[in-house]
Amino acid sequence: MGRLDAIAGVMALAGVAAVAVPAATPAEAGTLEDIIARGELRVAVQTQGPPFSFMDKNGQRSGSAIELTTLMAQEMGVKVVYLDFDWDGLLPALMSGKADMLAADMTPTLARATQVAFTKPFMYVGAVAFAKQGGEIASVEDCKKPGATVAVLLGSTGEKLAPTVFPEAEIKSFKGGGTLLLDAVASGQADCGVNDNSAVKAQTAAYPEGTFAIFDQMLSKEPLAYAVRYDSMDLLTWGNLFIDTVELDGRLQKNLDYWVNSDAWKADH
Amino acid sequence: MLGGLNTRVMLEYLPEIWQGFLSTLWLSAAGFLGAMALGVLACALAIQPLRWLRAPAVAYVDVIRATPLLAQLYFLYFGLPRLGIVLPEMLIGIIALSLNSGAYMAEIIRSGILSIPRGQVEAGMSTGLSYLQRMRLIVLPQALRATVSPVIGQTIVLVKDSSLLSLISVVELTRAGQRIAIDRFMPVEGLVATALGYLVLYYALKSAAGAWSARNALPGRG
Repeated sequence: MGRLDAIAGVMALAGVAAVAVPAATPAEAGTLEDIIARGELRVAVQTQGPPFSFMDKNGQRSGSAIELTTLMAQEMGVKVVYLDFDWDGLLPALMSGKADMLAADMTPTLARATQVAFTKPFMYVGAVAFAKQGGEIASVEDCKKPGATVAVLLGSTGEKLAPTVFPEAEIKSFKGGGTLLLDAVASGQADCGVNDNSAVKAQTAAYPEGTFAIFDQMLSKEPLAYAVRYDSMDLLTWGNLFIDTVELDGRLQKNLDYWVNSDAWKADH
Repeated sequence: MLGGLNTRVMLEYLPEIWQGFLSTLWLSAAGFLGAMALGVLACALAIQPLRWLRAPAVAYVDVIRATPLLAQLYFLYFGLPRLGIVLPEMLIGIIALSLNSGAYMAEIIRSGILSIPRGQVEAGMSTGLSYLQRMRLIVLPQALRATVSPVIGQTIVLVKDSSLLSLISVVELTRAGQRIAIDRFMPVEGLVATALGYLVLYYALKSAAGAWSARNALPGRG
């Protein structure tokens, strides 16, 4: 490799970094102040599927997380704007100031909280296993057999659990929404899938009845929370008060009962 | 510019990145061999005179070039099982890379062969050489030299395209970088680590091509 090549290489890498390193946002004015001034709450979401965030049959963005953040903006007295990203884009969108808040079905972990500030949890989910109905897998125990393949979502609760719950199985991590796991299991690329119970329940509904068998046993319990930047402590404080408020006045429960704890949403969306 | 980069965390993930790098390397190597085999075959069929042998080769090249690799990959991974064919994701990845790059390789090799002046072929005919002899002695030695540079170019594309295999759960370089982004919420560190890996592969390929061309150059042909 010539010297010029080496220089070109370093410059190319610096270019990558320049594009990717999020610009520091000025922290003089509070984020909440900015939101009120511009009249817009910018929320980065992932369209990962029902019941949290999806495009419904009328082509409208809807779901539990969407309705809750719309309510948030309404209480703030501003408009809500959704920025739709893949998982990879969520964090840079928040860090670069393009979004004020992340509302994905994101589990706060201590490692992640070194980068972003999480609000109080607004709900809890648990991981469940599922398999193709009528196949050889009839229980969670069958998924634990040596040689069984278990599909999980990259970075999800299911992925963290898998090595302890299914120590003998082969774990395949998929990146993207839960429907990818369902496809992997339906097509026979994996024997079992593990994902959040509410996501599994809502997403299997799109497949012909009798495609999947969902095993009831809860494998974990994990909180879901919103994330903001650490320079947005005003927004974080407000967000926590919002969660407390809707918890106390029953609006959070109403949202969860409609979207997560029942199939009521299917009639309208 | 790189000041905000957490190199300590990148180093912490070095074993994963290294594993991913090796995976990308051998997936690409296998994909390259498959692509060359398919490319030579498709090209040979496309330039020979029998129409019924030409048609499938042309159709293969057209279909592959007209559709995105991601669609081809999903078709093989989620579509084939509907026909009762369930293959491991590594194998599907290699098949997809081979099929995809093979079509481009076929075109590259074909254009190399067509670049040989007609007069040379006619001179071969007039001295009584058969079709295969003309190919072996006159056309291919020159044509293959002319294709080295575009073949390396397509191989670089193949290496980068192998990043799509992360979507069917193959653990390679891109997936290793995603790991940093997802575990630690440090997407920049993940992306830069991944980019570095591809950069190394790129320069290795580029200098290999340069060295080969310098040693095997034909007098009078750049």
